[in-house]
Amino acid sequence: METGKVTVEKVDGKSTVTRCFSKYPLKFIIPTKVGPSKSDAVWIYTLTYGGGIVSGDSISSEFNIGDGCTTVLTTQASTKVYKSLGSKCSEQFLEARIGRDSLLAVIPDPVTCFSTARYSQKQVFRVLSDSNLVIVDWITSGRHESGEKWDFDLYKSTNNIFLDHDQPLFLDTVLLEQGNIAAITERMRDYQVIAMVIILGPKLKHIQTQVQEHVKMIMSEQLQVPFVGLRGHIKSNSSICFTKPPFIASCSLFGPKGMGIVVRIAAMTTESVYKFLRQQLASMELLIGVLPYR
Amino acid sequence: MEDDMIMDKKRRKTASADFLLQWSQWQLLDSILPTGGFAHSFGLEAAIQARIILGHEDFKNQVIHILENTGSLLLPFVYSATNSPDLDTWQRLDRILDATLTNEVSRKASIAQGSALMRVAAAVFTEVPCLKTMRDACIGSGAVSFHHAPIFGMICGLLGMDSETSQKAYIFITMRDAISAATRLNLVGPLGAAVLQHQLCLVAETVLKKWMDHTVEEACQTAPLLDTLQGCHSYLFSRLFCS
Repeated sequence: METGKVTVEKVDGKSTVTRCFSKYPLKFIIPTKVGPSKSDAVWIYTLTYGGGIVSGDSISSEFNIGDGCTTVLTTQASTKVYKSLGSKCSEQFLEARIGRDSLLAVIPDPVTCFSTARYSQKQVFRVLSDSNLVIVDWITSGRHESGEKWDFDLYKSTNNIFLDHDQPLFLDTVLLEQGNIAAITERMRDYQVIAMVIILGPKLKHIQTQVQEHVKMIMSEQLQVPFVGLRGHIKSNSSICFTKPPFIASCSLFGPKGMGIVVRIAAMTTESVYKFLRQQLASMELLIGVLPYR
Repeated sequence: MEDDMIMDKKRRKTASADFLLQWSQWQLLDSILPTGGFAHSFGLEAAIQARIILGHEDFKNQVIHILENTGSLLLPFVYSATNSPDLDTWQRLDRILDATLTNEVSRKASIAQGSALMRVAAAVFTEVPCLKTMRDACIGSGAVSFHHAPIFGMICGLLGMDSETSQKAYIFITMRDAISAATRLNLVGPLGAAVLQHQLCLVAETVLKKWMDHTVEEACQTAPLLDTLQGCHSYLFSRLFCS
C-alpha cells in the first residue's frame, strides 16, 4: 500500500494535479502559485510528520507525469533520519513515470543521517526518449556542529532509470555502511557532503553542455602533478601543493548517444554544493518558474 | 576387470582435465597475458593529483577501498557469468553492467580490458571453441559492449573453474593491477609493492567472503569519493594512464 500518489496531467493546456493522495507519515504540499503565471510547472513539496524519518518508517510514493507536463519535487528542509531503534532500517521508495516531452525535476535538500541511523532509499524513473529528468540526490555527513561526522550505521541510495519501460539506462546504488572493511569516515577523508546530479533529456541539452564545461574548467585548475617526484622543479605557490581541493566534481555521459550526464560531487561544506547547484541549474528557471536552490 | 579399466580411464581423463585447468588458470592470472591491464590506475593517478594520496598510509587505504568497491560492484557479474557462461547470460550481464558503470572513465576502461581479454582468450584457449564463436557473433554487432567482469567470469566458467575461484581471481587481478600501477606512479617501489600485496591478502579474503555470490541487482558502490576522483581522470593535463 502506497503512502503517497500524485498524477499530473495537462488540463486546458496547463500542468495540473489531477490526483493527489498521501497518508501518515507522508504529506504533500502543492502551492497553487509558484513562479510567474506564464510558467507552467507544478511544485510538490514532500514533508514527513515530525520533520524527519523515524526508525522503522516505510514510505512509498508514486508519481505519474503526463505528456507535456512539468513537475518539480522538492523538500522544505533537509531530510533528517533519526537514530535507529533496535537496528530497524527506515526506507523510502519512489517510482515515477515521465511522459513524452515532459519534465520532472527532483531537487530536494540533502539527507542527514543522525548517529546510528539506518536508512535506505530507492528511486525508480521510467522515461521515454524525449522525456526530461533532473535528479539531485545528496547526503551530508551528519550534524557537524555536534561532531557527528559519518556516524550513521547504514545509508543506501539507489537510483535507477529505465528507458521505454524496461531498457536499463542508469543503475546506481551507493552503500555506506559502518563496520565494514574501512570505516566510512576514512573512506570519505575530510569530505562532508556527497552529491549526485543527473540531467537527462532534449530540453536540457544546453544545461548539460554548460555543466560539463564548467566542471572540466574548475577541476583542471585543481588537479596537478605533484612536485614530489619531479626532478628539481619547485612550484612557487607551494602552499596549495599539499591541500586537498575543498570541492571535487566529475561529469560523465551515459545512455545511448550521450542522452544524459551524471555529476558526482564530494565537498567539504554543504554551502559549496548549494552554490554549485544554484549556479548550474539557474537556467532551469525558464522551465520551472523559480530559481532552484535559492 | 573391464569396469575397473573404464573407471581408471575416467579417472585419468578427469585428472588430465584438472591439470589443464591449473595451467590455464595460472596463465589467465599471470600479468604477462596481454590484456592491457597495465594501462589503468583505478583512480590512483587522479587521487595523487588531487592530493588525496600524500603518503604510504593514504595509498594503502586507497587500495583497500578499490578492492572493496570491486567486490561490491563487480563480483556479482563475475559470479553470474561463471555460473552460466552462455551467450544470452553474457549479453544480459553486459547490458546491465553498461548501465551500472555510470562513471565514464571506468566504463571505457572496462570495455577496453574486456575486449582485449576476449580476443586473447579466443586465440589462446582453443579447446573452448565457443569463445571464438561467441566473440565473432558479437563483434561489430553492437549487441555487446565487451565489459571486463562478465567476460572474465565467463572464461573462468568455460575453463571449468568454480565461482568462488573465479571471484577470488578477479579480486586478485584487481589488487595486482592497482599495486602495479602504484609502482609506476612512484607511490611504492617494486619490493615494497610485493610486501604490500602480501599484507593485503587478509583484506582481499575479507572482501571476497563479504561480497561473493551476490546477484547483479545487489551490485553497489561503496567508495563514492573514489568514484568521483576516477571520473576526473580525463581532466588531468598530463597523465601516464588511461584511467
